[in-house]
Amino acid sequence: MNSLGIEQIKQGKVTIDVSDIPSGLAITIVGDIDMQDPSVVLDPLFDKVHKGAMASGLKVVNFDLKQLAFLNSSGIKGIAKWIMNLASAPADKRYVIKILQNKSIPWQVTSLPTLTFLVPGAVQIE
Amino acid sequence: MTVENAESDGYIELKFGPRWKYIAVVRGFIQNFLAVGFSDDARADKIAMAASELLENAVKYATGEETRIRVGLSPKTGEVDISVSNKGSPEAIAGLKALWSDVMAGDPLEAYVRRMREAATRSDGKSQLGLVRIRYETGGAMSLDVSGDLVTVRLKYSK
Repeated sequence: MNSLGIEQIKQGKVTIDVSDIPSGLAITIVGDIDMQDPSVVLDPLFDKVHKGAMASGLKVVNFDLKQLAFLNSSGIKGIAKWIMNLASAPADKRYVIKILQNKSIPWQVTSLPTLTFLVPGAVQIE
Repeated sequence: MTVENAESDGYIELKFGPRWKYIAVVRGFIQNFLAVGFSDDARADKIAMAASELLENAVKYATGEETRIRVGLSPKTGEVDISVSNKGSPEAIAGLKALWSDVMAGDPLEAYVRRMREAATRSDGKSQLGLVRIRYETGGAMSLDVSGDLVTVRLKYSK
């Protein structure tokens, strides 16, 4: 269990784990996000992470997608929604989302960099 | 009798009642079909993703049981053609035409980022990101044809 009390999520072909890391949090997603409405899974998760990170003064959230084999555009919407929350967050409460990508998965090479344009400075790709 | 060789053009065509659970199966099938034809898994992945996005749209917005996907490839030229056809209601077709105009306007990346920002504010369960994702991430030539209630989206990829 992590400091925000978020339990492991298993839904369809995807498993999501949240863990504590120094000065922040790590979200690890494994499998495929190709369900018709990923918001059922992603929105509550990202809402908890966002509110918890701001309340706890976390500085970084590692978003580990290295084992995410597929992400549909509805899943991209869910991630974009999370990132856009940072646009309206007070400057002293902001945290950085570090996306850990796998360059051997073709969609990751083209999809993930686009997320850095949503809110300047909010997302880094590693 | 015609004897095919490795350089022959080929195609697959599937017609099915649009169901979400079939999309991943068809995506995998198309990926394999293209990978066998080109021995290029990365390119096959990218084009299969595009096909998958079109199929998701068909499942969400089609009426009836007439969804059809055709994937053609030419090993000699490296070209790939994909078309997805389905029937739609007048409201769905009008919405698609409006979305298409917006998605195709201006720089592909700017359109993508703009649509993502807009999608983040939607509360209707739709993302409307599939077409703009295809445009920016796959770079294919895209066309839309509407004939009565039949909608066909075509993608064409050069080597």
